[in-house]
Amino acid sequence: MIDSRSDKVFSVIVYIILSTFGILIILPFLNLLATSLSDQVAVSNGMVTFWPKRFTLSAYKFVIQNKQFWNGFKTTILVTFAGTVLSMLVTTLTAYPLSLPKLKGRKFFLVLFIIVMLFNGGLIPNYLLINQLGLRNNRWALILPGLISTYNMLLVKNYFETLPPSLYESAKIDGASEFRIFINITLPLSLPTLATVALFYAVGFWNSYFSGILYISSPEKMPLQTYLQSLLNMSYIPAHELSPEVAESLSTESIRAASIFSATVPILVFYPFLQKYFVKGLVLGSDK
Amino acid sequence: MNSTIEIKKKKKLWERIDYYSLYFFLVPGLLLIFIFNYIPMGGIVIAFKDFNIFAGRTPLESIIKSEWVGLSNFTKLFNNMNFLRAFRNTLIISTYKIVFLFPVPIILAIMITDIKAKWYRKSIQTILYLPHFLSWVVVTALFIQILGPYGVVNNWLKRMEVIEKSIQFFGNNNLFRSLVVVSAGWKETGWNAIIYIAAITGINPQLYEAAKMDGANKIQQIIYITIPSISSTIIMLFILRIGAILDAGFDQIYNMYSYVVYEKGDILSTLVYREGIGGQDYGFGTAVGLFNSIVALVLVLGGNGLCRKFFKKGLW
Repeated sequence: MIDSRSDKVFSVIVYIILSTFGILIILPFLNLLATSLSDQVAVSNGMVTFWPKRFTLSAYKFVIQNKQFWNGFKTTILVTFAGTVLSMLVTTLTAYPLSLPKLKGRKFFLVLFIIVMLFNGGLIPNYLLINQLGLRNNRWALILPGLISTYNMLLVKNYFETLPPSLYESAKIDGASEFRIFINITLPLSLPTLATVALFYAVGFWNSYFSGILYISSPEKMPLQTYLQSLLNMSYIPAHELSPEVAESLSTESIRAASIFSATVPILVFYPFLQKYFVKGLVLGSDK
Repeated sequence: MNSTIEIKKKKKLWERIDYYSLYFFLVPGLLLIFIFNYIPMGGIVIAFKDFNIFAGRTPLESIIKSEWVGLSNFTKLFNNMNFLRAFRNTLIISTYKIVFLFPVPIILAIMITDIKAKWYRKSIQTILYLPHFLSWVVVTALFIQILGPYGVVNNWLKRMEVIEKSIQFFGNNNLFRSLVVVSAGWKETGWNAIIYIAAITGINPQLYEAAKMDGANKIQQIIYITIPSISSTIIMLFILRIGAILDAGFDQIYNMYSYVVYEKGDILSTLVYREGIGGQDYGFGTAVGLFNSIVALVLVLGGNGLCRKFFKKGLW
């Protein structure tokens, strides 16, 4: 009935290709990890591939003692946490009324948000606005401008629209206010989509480096990714940041690798747990 | 009798208050986009002024006090070699990305949905989506690590005696665009497959059953069932992708380029940053930004119009 041999060959080829892709994603991380755990001699002689050579933890000791790294970590945690909570608050509050057909002027408000997605003043006016508001070198400059994304808001709104109206009607008969319906019915029923969008916001705040370059001047307020960005173009670590014995045994590559890897660990840890939500949430939200 | 009317009236009033409370829900969001999106749109007047940041004590005062110069910032633009180069680079890099990277997620999605073993399918998806969640700072660091002068690739090539001196992947005008395309593919291909995976999973399984009965093998099933079934998704995403052609990827280029490769790598958005903010040429920077925004807007609206026409479904 079926030419099962050619199908088997096909399946084997698919497994081989996909596994190759998977390996191509993982290998760079292994190389980074191996570099971060190898000493200067091994790194500069090109001995390190995917396994540490002349194993040492001193790059991580350096990272742990590096004040810049911890300042960055603190700022980033703060910005990511505050940013995600506030973003979710504003996004859901906006999405709820816009998901209700009975709201007068709904189209108009929607258009206001969509325009923002399609057109912007560009970098310079935004930069000058932050200066005008006196937010330079203030962590709020890292949070406020990106607090609501139209794309995420529409994702949530579209999901809200799939909830059965009969639920709302019976709540209404019981005398529930809009706010109570929003809190007690809409939000709890939308958890996969909300988890997805929260993940998008959190990753966005965690990964943002450019607003740090633009707006933050004092090192203690600099976000982690901005600090990492400064490591990219650096061919050496300034001597005053290193203790003598560290400077002797460590290459710039190892220090950069250890810093990058440490900063990526939170994403590597949280992401697999949230993954099952976002595929579901994304598909449901965009299914309109 | 009277009291029931009272109660009804009260209920009516309460219902109306409740309805109008919905508008208060919108206040924080509207306030935010007003301040951080609409006010900067007003800032584009800088493109029509000879803006001097020191003309006033605050940026706003400086804008008001600066002289109007009409379109001279824009005429300057089209005589500026850096602008023309960045415009060309933007189009070329975007086109390369579309040509080489647009088809890959489709093929990837077809392969992933062919996998029957659930654990394998889940794990490979988890791995392939992962790079999307890393910043370009981290991805650039990974590529510098591998392609750097002491990196794995150069070491291998040296050992195989293909080359004697390390290849400067990041500092070579002939290689830079390839580097950009490959790294963008590494980061986003898995993620971009999601929407196709969803589309393929939605295909009626009976179609495949019937095809199998008729003796169709997998390749034939892909050609005659899978691809036709997702063709509208493919065309729609293609149109939207064309609409975003002026977005060549600021974060990626900004992290990967250096002055050595401006020739092949400098794009409009990096130029705006460098000349506008770095060089404090605010008028020029705003003009380039505005040019970029307007062309992008026209393209996106055009693309969306096409989608609506053909699929009764747009981006929003």
